[in-house]
Amino acid sequence: MSRLASIFFVAAVCLAQETNPLASDPKAAEVGRWSFRIYCAPCHGIHADGGRGPDLTLGTYAAGDRDIDLFRVISRGVPGTEMAAYGGRVEDEGIWRMVAYIKSVARHDNSNLQGDAGAGQKIFWGKGGCGACHRVADKGSGPGPDLTRVGRQRSVAYLRTSIVNPDADVTPGYGTVTVITREGKSIVGVEKSYDNFSAQLVDLSGHYYSFLREDVTSMKRESRSLMPSSYGRLLSEGEINDLLAYMISLRGGQ
Amino acid sequence: MKLLGLGLLLGAIALAQTDPGAWTSYGKNSFGWRYSDLDQINVSTVSRLAPQWMFQTNVPGKNETTPLVFGRMMYITGPSNTAWALDALTGRQIWAYRSAPPARLDLCCGPVNRGFAVQGNKLFKVDLEGRLLAMDAQSGAVLWQATLDDYKKGYSATAAPLIVKNLVVTGMAGAEYGTRGFIDAYDVNTGKRVWRFYTVAAEGEPGGESWAGDSWKRGGGATWVTGTYDPELNTIYWGTGNPGPDLNGSSRPGDNLYTCSVVALDADTGKLKWHFQMTPHDLHDWDAISDPVPVDLTRNGRKIKALMQANRNGFFYALDRTNGKLLLTKAYTKVTWADGIGADGRPNLVSGQDPTEEGNRACPGMGGGHNWQATAYSPQTGYYYFSSSDRCMLYYKTDQEFVEGQWYQASTVGRDEAGGGRILALDPNTGNTVWQFEMVSTPTAGVLATAGGLVFTGDAEGYLIAFDARTGKVLWRFQTGGTVIAPPISYTLNGRQYIAVAAGQTMLTFALPK
Repeated sequence: MSRLASIFFVAAVCLAQETNPLASDPKAAEVGRWSFRIYCAPCHGIHADGGRGPDLTLGTYAAGDRDIDLFRVISRGVPGTEMAAYGGRVEDEGIWRMVAYIKSVARHDNSNLQGDAGAGQKIFWGKGGCGACHRVADKGSGPGPDLTRVGRQRSVAYLRTSIVNPDADVTPGYGTVTVITREGKSIVGVEKSYDNFSAQLVDLSGHYYSFLREDVTSMKRESRSLMPSSYGRLLSEGEINDLLAYMISLRGGQ
Repeated sequence: MKLLGLGLLLGAIALAQTDPGAWTSYGKNSFGWRYSDLDQINVSTVSRLAPQWMFQTNVPGKNETTPLVFGRMMYITGPSNTAWALDALTGRQIWAYRSAPPARLDLCCGPVNRGFAVQGNKLFKVDLEGRLLAMDAQSGAVLWQATLDDYKKGYSATAAPLIVKNLVVTGMAGAEYGTRGFIDAYDVNTGKRVWRFYTVAAEGEPGGESWAGDSWKRGGGATWVTGTYDPELNTIYWGTGNPGPDLNGSSRPGDNLYTCSVVALDADTGKLKWHFQMTPHDLHDWDAISDPVPVDLTRNGRKIKALMQANRNGFFYALDRTNGKLLLTKAYTKVTWADGIGADGRPNLVSGQDPTEEGNRACPGMGGGHNWQATAYSPQTGYYYFSSSDRCMLYYKTDQEFVEGQWYQASTVGRDEAGGGRILALDPNTGNTVWQFEMVSTPTAGVLATAGGLVFTGDAEGYLIAFDARTGKVLWRFQTGGTVIAPPISYTLNGRQYIAVAAGQTMLTFALPK
């Protein structure tokens, strides 16, 4: 094969791999589902609708929306996140089957959201006071999770629950620690670190504390959020829909 | 070297291995007690325990090694087919062993290794790809090697071998890949296989009726934690792992012998003397691989040769080790899948606990109860020490076709519920917990008991901890900077008692100030 022909051949193979080579295989998605339940479900949920890992039923993905984007992420992982590389454990065909399954469960359900993102943005930064604890890009601050890309990471249903019942599922690393000092003072904050002998926490004012267990009366780790549980009463149904529309629009500016 | 000189050197090595201050096997004695007779470090002095040296392996991965220490040397293994001989006084490297694992290796749980065995001047270890090595203790040179089975079919090896007379006995790993488990014995001098015991009974063999069709061919029953040996009964005790596929039993109706069992084998022939299956037809990945520990118990005023195990299914078992009959069983953690164990040893099952397509919650979680981490028995207190993770999980089952060498679990579990665990001191005569230390995270490390009245263990956050063995009171701790998974050990050098443990990528030693 001439060098020019080789280049064309390689280009053609790469182009072909942009889309799922098993897209026309009617069994690919079902077999991919088996693998998904084993490898992916512990983080992404048994129905791919998210958990510790992003909701994959949204039909839009942090890695990009093309088949090859999903293939790359599954194969190579995402450095700096909990997303591991499966290229060494699963053959390429197996990964393409998982891609087929993920694409088959895309619901694109956000289009049914009734809210107004513009109105939701005003609520987020105004009446809701969300920016006091959450950051979006370079705006806001505080001890709560960064929401810059939350629209790619969580489903509408998950976010709705998080707003009205923040304790339902606390993002790892954002649990609550309560320390009672020898003087009887109670210090409550977001857990930064916690072990059998010490606790490190930041309170809602941003003050950092570090305690040894032997120096205090008690220390306790709780799987609850410091976020107020009153938003279901503070905001109307329409306002919550607006807020959700805004949050789903947060996709890291991409 | 002249023949006389070599003879003297080998004699010195053999003598070093009988030194009571040495540590020369995975479980310290052949019963796997992990009990050190040393008492220089004790309840009164332990507060002054201080680090002596650290050795950085610079090899990523979980470090699960039990160091061997004799003849002024420490021998440790590391992840990804690595090992070192270290000068025990200074921690300086004397030799290193590295063998790159195959590029594609099917491992359920990381490229780990749990340590060496030794006899005379030979060290023995397994490599990940299912290879058993004999190495020269002085140089690290490989003297012989034997292949356990084909790694391309999912077979691997991680456990420290067990020396029984002139045999080196080893288990295998890989029950999540449709393998068929076994325990092998090799001649220490030639590397020739002397016997093999399959932990999954084949069609036509006793126990073969507990499998359907050819499901036994990929029936699992891995033997990935070192067993124990009773020289008086000439019997090897070894725990076996889950049947495959793990959480979907529809292809393997029946008890699935001899998975999730303790097997008692004739040491010379590998023939089965008896078996006790803790979890018939397991559906929760509750391997019975925890240390099977011979101990003499008193029942109704009578001394009984017993064998105890803190099983992953949440129950503590004491068996008569001469015949495998159940003596005592008691739950040591929250158990929802069975409301007790019958006199015949079979669990009284509770409905609604099996994995389903949409998930069923059951306790313990997939890792147990107590998992594989090394346990300790102190003849001084009479207590058995081990860790327990006290949590529950959602168990799912999934249909999955078998492809040779591919992950074959047919299942998954829901995200771990928040929860920690405990270090327990249990009275094996009653099954009662005597004391417990609650941990904020799932316990990760093995345990050591000493004649100094102490129990040592580590934790996920990097602490090495010393407890009063009688009360559980924390007497000392040290932040090692890395998760402690390996069990601590103890030995003497130049009249000083040391504690050693691997944490993160570091080997650390501790002693009292001079």
